[in-house]
Amino acid sequence: MSLEKKDDFDHNAWLKTKDLTPIESVFLTTLVFLDRRLRIVDYLELLEDAYYKVNLQMPKSHTEQYDLDNKFWYWYPLYSLGFFSTLAYIVAAVSGALLGFYYEPSAVGDPSTAYASIEMIMTELQFGFALRSIHRWAAQIMMAAVFLHMLRVYFTGSYKEPRELNWLLGIILISLSMVFGYTGYLLPWNQLAFWAGQIGVEMALATPIVGEWAAQLLFGGFTLGQATIIRMYILHVFVLPFVVTALIALHIGIVWVQGIAEPH
Amino acid sequence: MSEKDSTDTDARTDGGETGIVAPDDEVPTWSERKERKVGLSRLTFEYFERSRREDQDLRNESDYVERDVLGFPTWPHEIIRNLSISMFFVGMIVLIAAALPPSLEAPADPSSTPSIILPDWYLYWSFGLLKLNPLNPGLAVLDGGKLLSDQLYGVLANVVVVGAVALLPFLNKGSARRPVEQPFWAAIGVGGAVFSITIAGLAVQNLIPLPLPLQLNIVFVFPVVAGIITYAVLKTMREGYMYGLNRRYYMLRPPK
Repeated sequence: MSLEKKDDFDHNAWLKTKDLTPIESVFLTTLVFLDRRLRIVDYLELLEDAYYKVNLQMPKSHTEQYDLDNKFWYWYPLYSLGFFSTLAYIVAAVSGALLGFYYEPSAVGDPSTAYASIEMIMTELQFGFALRSIHRWAAQIMMAAVFLHMLRVYFTGSYKEPRELNWLLGIILISLSMVFGYTGYLLPWNQLAFWAGQIGVEMALATPIVGEWAAQLLFGGFTLGQATIIRMYILHVFVLPFVVTALIALHIGIVWVQGIAEPH
Repeated sequence: MSEKDSTDTDARTDGGETGIVAPDDEVPTWSERKERKVGLSRLTFEYFERSRREDQDLRNESDYVERDVLGFPTWPHEIIRNLSISMFFVGMIVLIAAALPPSLEAPADPSSTPSIILPDWYLYWSFGLLKLNPLNPGLAVLDGGKLLSDQLYGVLANVVVVGAVALLPFLNKGSARRPVEQPFWAAIGVGGAVFSITIAGLAVQNLIPLPLPLQLNIVFVFPVVAGIITYAVLKTMREGYMYGLNRRYYMLRPPK
């Protein structure tokens, strides 16, 4: 037995036998270089596979095949709600990242720095008005889409047997989306935000055993102030984006593996 | 390369014995090792073998029309069909955002409580559940005192509702997919959806010119009425609908 490699192809010799233009030889040399280190061929195969799948003729769906109900196509838009809410989530994420460049989470001052920065975004910043508008509407419409998505899943029985876990995951996701909305609602630090925060603190304090601890953790104390707004900000732009994005990926991954449940 | 091989056939090591025995015919292959394994991996292997055989047996022996399609491929079929509709609605988001920009209310002022305190609309149902305190019973044993504080009662109402929704797939099993096949569960669903709206009304009870007892009745009676109507309608439709459904299945795939 030898540690000498025996079965390597001599790619350089192979290159020399070919009559290549400079562009081709640079391309091939780079490709060979990268492939020997990163196994690109494997990924190219995936791409190729995807390409041929896209070009396949679409098979008839179960519903079409058995001519089960032409009303299915009437209801079809409801089947795209999950995908649509993902797109709305992406729109909200992009516009939110842009808003984050200008927003300052601080309750100091009168009116507070946070409120003043929102006012600046709305009145002075180029396209700031549009940016906040898009962020807010994307969030609102995503929530609406997610609730309708849940109703669609219920009434087509799509939560049933092999898909119980995804239903539970969906409940976690819809709850986290509402927390997402709530934390975002508090950020402008206007009257509605402040008093909605007050209700949140009261809700937390009403819970036995863990209540005070939860209020400390989420709101930074029992009265609202600087600690609250910074915690809401970190939840909204750091914690929830990671958690929710990961869960959405898992949710969609399970749908991918299990397939779309059509009515039978 | 071949020149080197002929002259230098010994293993080149850092010195000393490697302790590594070269693979030969006696060494089991990886698949053989896997088969010989005991314990959990062996059990897993056996389970997969068994379940595959069971599936095959079921398929061979079944004498009824199977509803064997569990899912329709997500990629590319479903995603591509969804894309057209979804992209349209993403465009609608931008259009609505341009037409209806959000307002910015007065800055936070801890010293003045506004007359209307509301979360965003999608939390109205939850906020309404928090306001269920008129139903929190006073107990005679406690001299009319309450077992749970009003706030805790509201928080628990939220927990109960979300928990009930989470339990659904474990309560309702089977292959029925359409509301007509299960009028009862469709009625539960419609009742729940109507309840989420009527309970949201409770969140804004100070804006609705109705006495509180009447409104509480509405909150709980409307969903029940909606559920009963749904049940009655679906029960009526059921026979004819299921007849047509089964006929289509049998026409295309008669029982073996």
